[in-house]
Amino acid sequence: MNRLHPLSAAAYALQYGFFWLWIPVVFVVVLSGIFDPIRAAWVPIAAPLGFLFGTAYGVVYYYRFGYEITSDTVDVASGVVARRDREIPYGRIQNVDIRQSVFQRLFGLATVSIETAGGGDTEAALNFVSETEANRLQAEIRRRTAEAKDRRRERKRDRSVAGTDSTVVGPEPPDVEEGDASVPSEDVSSGSDAERPPEAGEEPRAAEDGTRVRSRRPAEEPAQEGTTLGPVADRDRREDPTRHPQQQPLFDLEPRELLLYSFTSFRPAAVAAALFVFFFATETILEAFITAAQPFGGPADLGTGDPASYGILTIVSGVISILVTYAISVAYTFATYYDFQLGRVGDDFVYERGLLQRYSGSIPAEKVQSVTVTDNPLQRLIEYGGLWVETAGYGPESNGGSQSAVPLAKHGRVYRFAENLTGVETPSFESPSPIARRRYAVRYSLVAAAFVAIAFGVSTLTPFESWYVAAAAFLAVPPAAHLRYVHIGYYVGDDHLVIRSGFWRRRTTVIPYYRIQTVSARRSIFQRRLGLASLVVDTASSRSFFWSSTTIYDVDLEDARAVREASRERLQTALRERAEADDVGLSVDFT
Amino acid sequence: MESLNPRIRLLWIAQGVLVAAVLGVVLAAVDQWVRPVPTAALGAVVALVLAAGTLYAIRLYQIWQFELQDDALYLERGVVTLVETAVPFVRVQHVDTQFGPIERALGLSSVVVYTAGSRNADVRIPGLTPDRARELQDALRDLAIESEADDAV
Repeated sequence: MNRLHPLSAAAYALQYGFFWLWIPVVFVVVLSGIFDPIRAAWVPIAAPLGFLFGTAYGVVYYYRFGYEITSDTVDVASGVVARRDREIPYGRIQNVDIRQSVFQRLFGLATVSIETAGGGDTEAALNFVSETEANRLQAEIRRRTAEAKDRRRERKRDRSVAGTDSTVVGPEPPDVEEGDASVPSEDVSSGSDAERPPEAGEEPRAAEDGTRVRSRRPAEEPAQEGTTLGPVADRDRREDPTRHPQQQPLFDLEPRELLLYSFTSFRPAAVAAALFVFFFATETILEAFITAAQPFGGPADLGTGDPASYGILTIVSGVISILVTYAISVAYTFATYYDFQLGRVGDDFVYERGLLQRYSGSIPAEKVQSVTVTDNPLQRLIEYGGLWVETAGYGPESNGGSQSAVPLAKHGRVYRFAENLTGVETPSFESPSPIARRRYAVRYSLVAAAFVAIAFGVSTLTPFESWYVAAAAFLAVPPAAHLRYVHIGYYVGDDHLVIRSGFWRRRTTVIPYYRIQTVSARRSIFQRRLGLASLVVDTASSRSFFWSSTTIYDVDLEDARAVREASRERLQTALRERAEADDVGLSVDFT
Repeated sequence: MESLNPRIRLLWIAQGVLVAAVLGVVLAAVDQWVRPVPTAALGAVVALVLAAGTLYAIRLYQIWQFELQDDALYLERGVVTLVETAVPFVRVQHVDTQFGPIERALGLSSVVVYTAGSRNADVRIPGLTPDRARELQDALRDLAIESEADDAV
């Protein structure tokens, strides 16, 4: 096991020293308030003790931290009391970054971080090593990763040769994977790369704090930058139509669709914007509300009025607030998706949108994890829907998550897009167990009961008395339960799993089996009693806060298990097939 | 299916004790600063949390099971919500063995398997003897390296 640079011991000692300084201080102060025998006067003794302990901890941390490059993995062991031994196989390493802050450059130090796919955190951070060691590590990991890839490719070739039982004697059959396999061999063998100029995949970047970052994809993939988002000057795009000479247009949002999209969708950000404006100009807005409410019988000012006129004021200002928020949402959507265009360049989808500020981004087709069609009740009424593409992101500047590929289009067109994009057959959905509907009815009844209870509580504290009116909430329970139930569906296809759920924002997600990460069947105590299970299908996407993991809710346990087994099996088959075919798995013909 | 080491119950009970202790201190603080809390009520709450924590620990141990199947690591766990997860070996990003101070005192260790997924992205198998944890880590690592995928995501 290798150790870090000795200067890191000093850095850790200081860092932990100042951190631990505060812990006994806080403890003494808080506990002295609760328990008598502990006194706040102990602070001057506790603080230096904490600092000393922290310093010692930092030094021990340094001695207990080790890393090693073995034949198949990078190992990192850390921890003083709690220990962690991590092994990262070379095949899974995506990025090796070298970072240098101003101070580190002064001392000739560097931080090496090793990233694998998924997860927001750096999987291994070596804090810090000398510059030469950093370069050696980067080169070494890169070499080993390339080797691991070569070995894998050879094995694959051996197997395919054995599999076809070829009678070819003599020269090896032409390597069909040549395009992909062109790892520059001289590049792999050229030991230290410290003196070579930067190249593709290794770009010096300057972060905002003056930290220099050198990033490298060890697997020598073509410079694949994930999704690059950023404002593009409108005129650049217009004056230079040859920038993407081979760009193939796929979808343009027509003015009619843009307007429909703006008016039928709602953005939660609009609520935040409205609240912000309200806090900014509370008095002016309150006065405006009072003026607006007066013709309907509102109070003359906030101080004078009876319950009836206050009620009118509340209703009027509520209506105005909703209208204003909706207007903000419409304007925001309009400005964001104005002149949306989607095209295809090589293996990437590129999009452009925006009125005041043009945004353009790319969606790398090989990083696409799943495709989702969304619609809300209004959009369903006019038979429109939107198409979202979820990608896996990693690395410092790429962001995974959902990108809108088609903001809004006729259902037929959106579904055709989704089918062409993924190659899924038209799904025929299966419904969950009918018991689920009963379950939702019970669940929503509980919500309604809670609502009535709150109303009752309010009535005991305020002059408001007719709390039993709240019982009307029970009327909404059967339709709500039914709507939730009918919008749940799933389809187990040949190569894809299609999962649908949600009423307010219905999502129909197409997941290719070969993108599945884990499959879990979950059963709460209530579900166990009813013999139901929910199947959670996890992919490397949908990391966003608003979109929960794709889940098939409340199917019979038998069905859930069957779907899980089918998914597992088909994942393995799909991986084998892909390894043989070596294709991207996405159809190039999008339209 | 393999069960965890029985000593893991002690760790989970210890966690329950910790929760009970924190709750006790919070109640003591309420008693001191906000409004008086009867000592009997305080004791009852702490005792209740302790009992619930112990039962939970015992039940969790009974339920927890895992297995290395031919293509995936399979786990069953959860008292309130029972979760059965399959983690295909191709999806394993990296494998940790970890242990905290209490685990170390009990001579236990955990294996944590990371995938590139968004949820359940780290799967932890607690309550293994250090030898077994090492062995499992090695097995999982080899299986992850062996199972080939052009891209792990």
